[in-house]
Amino acid sequence: MIVATLALLLALPPLIWAAAMFDRIGTGRGAIVMGPIRNGAALMLRPNTETEAPDRLNRLLAPGWYLALALVGLSVVPLAPGIVATDLSTGLVLWGACEALTVVVVFLHGWSPNAPLPLIGAYRYVAIGLPAMLLSMFVLIGAALPAESLSVVEVVEAQRGLWNVVRQPLGLPLFMALGLAITLRGPFDYADGAELAGGTSAEESGPALALWQFARASMLVAFSAMAAAAFLGGHLGPVLPGPVWLLLKTLAVMAATVAAGRFFARMPPARMLTFLWVVLLPLSFVSLALVGVEVLE
Amino acid sequence: MTDALFLALSALAIWSGWRVFRVDSMVRASFQLMVSFIAVGLIAVLLAAPYIGIATIFMMAVEMMVMALFMVMFMMNPAGLNPMVMVHQHRFSVAAGSLAFAGLSAAVLLSDLPVRPVPEGAEVVRDLGHELLGPSMLIFETAGVTLLATMIGAVVLSAHSGRYGASDAGSRPPGLTPGGAPAGRKPEGGGGHHHHHHGGH
Repeated sequence: MIVATLALLLALPPLIWAAAMFDRIGTGRGAIVMGPIRNGAALMLRPNTETEAPDRLNRLLAPGWYLALALVGLSVVPLAPGIVATDLSTGLVLWGACEALTVVVVFLHGWSPNAPLPLIGAYRYVAIGLPAMLLSMFVLIGAALPAESLSVVEVVEAQRGLWNVVRQPLGLPLFMALGLAITLRGPFDYADGAELAGGTSAEESGPALALWQFARASMLVAFSAMAAAAFLGGHLGPVLPGPVWLLLKTLAVMAATVAAGRFFARMPPARMLTFLWVVLLPLSFVSLALVGVEVLE
Repeated sequence: MTDALFLALSALAIWSGWRVFRVDSMVRASFQLMVSFIAVGLIAVLLAAPYIGIATIFMMAVEMMVMALFMVMFMMNPAGLNPMVMVHQHRFSVAAGSLAFAGLSAAVLLSDLPVRPVPEGAEVVRDLGHELLGPSMLIFETAGVTLLATMIGAVVLSAHSGRYGASDAGSRPPGLTPGGAPAGRKPEGGGGHHHHHHGGH
């Protein structure tokens, strides 16, 4: 347990750096390798901006909560057989609670500055974030069914024969929709969009903005590790040791999520809401039903 | 250790529950209530009920988010940051609160509570699943569907009459010319024709 926690804390900063680099490739936002460090350092030296009558406590804590939720979510992912930071029989439910609380935290981040653009971003995000979270839970129940357990360790072990991504082809793409939503990215970036001048972050600068971006990148790492564990067999793989396989798969999901965020266009919120409830959510039901039929056989 | 955690979480649950009535905005009240429920969920985890405890946190996060949003939508103070008084009907509330407190305290003190520690390695989540999808299935499914129907009914009933008249009339954009057809995207499914006809009267 202590080994796993230390390993995660050591591996996280380089992975967050990698996430920030992925975000820069091909966007022309400065140097790819040193850019994130330089921008972060510059932000740390700038003052935080003040707004009129903000909710100071929530404004101060929101980036920290976001980071904490990413860490708690990441802690249920097993790094190797028997090495997991939080060995919980209901690990998938804990991950779900982190997803749900992420929606709350992003809302509070937009609500607390008491300014129009962040508030619009916050309300839009809740409307889109909640159904995205809902469909991810159905997809994760699908991943838990063959394992007959809600423990992430068991979910990985159940993929020794065949990875879930082959057994449940709909699962990973649908789960990626959640990844885009909880990392405020691409087609699901209704919170921090450029058309709202940064949305929930519109009034932020200085260390608070740096921590928010850091937390957003760690959430991408946590989501990618979870997706790798639930659908790509986690630490399972030939020749190489388990943690290396998990690292490679996490990096692959991170790259795919960033690419998906660039590739898909963002729809108006109302149309996205219809798309989520009428197309994606029923698709997750279909995925779950197919898994159920397969497990019964 | 467990006792200290239990006491700290109980104190947090009670304190944030009290704050629900002392803060001055709907959003703050909702999330204070969420903090209270999260503390209760963690107490359930301490009581060897990991599924119920963590599911409580999960459900309450979603529920309080939706509640904050709906209260802001339906209340007179839409932004939620402007101060407002959160308590009303003082005498009735005091009486109801005291009665409920006395009743629950009496129930706790007078009933014969079971003393059965959960054995190490008991599959509590599996047992709960067998109970929910076995003997108690009818109760839970009935309650679930009833709650869903109630929620949909409440929203349908309260959403129609808004502050500025019927909501479907209020949400129709005005015409480009006086008395003309509504501007913007036409509603799908031929509804636009009906509205146009109706507007001509």
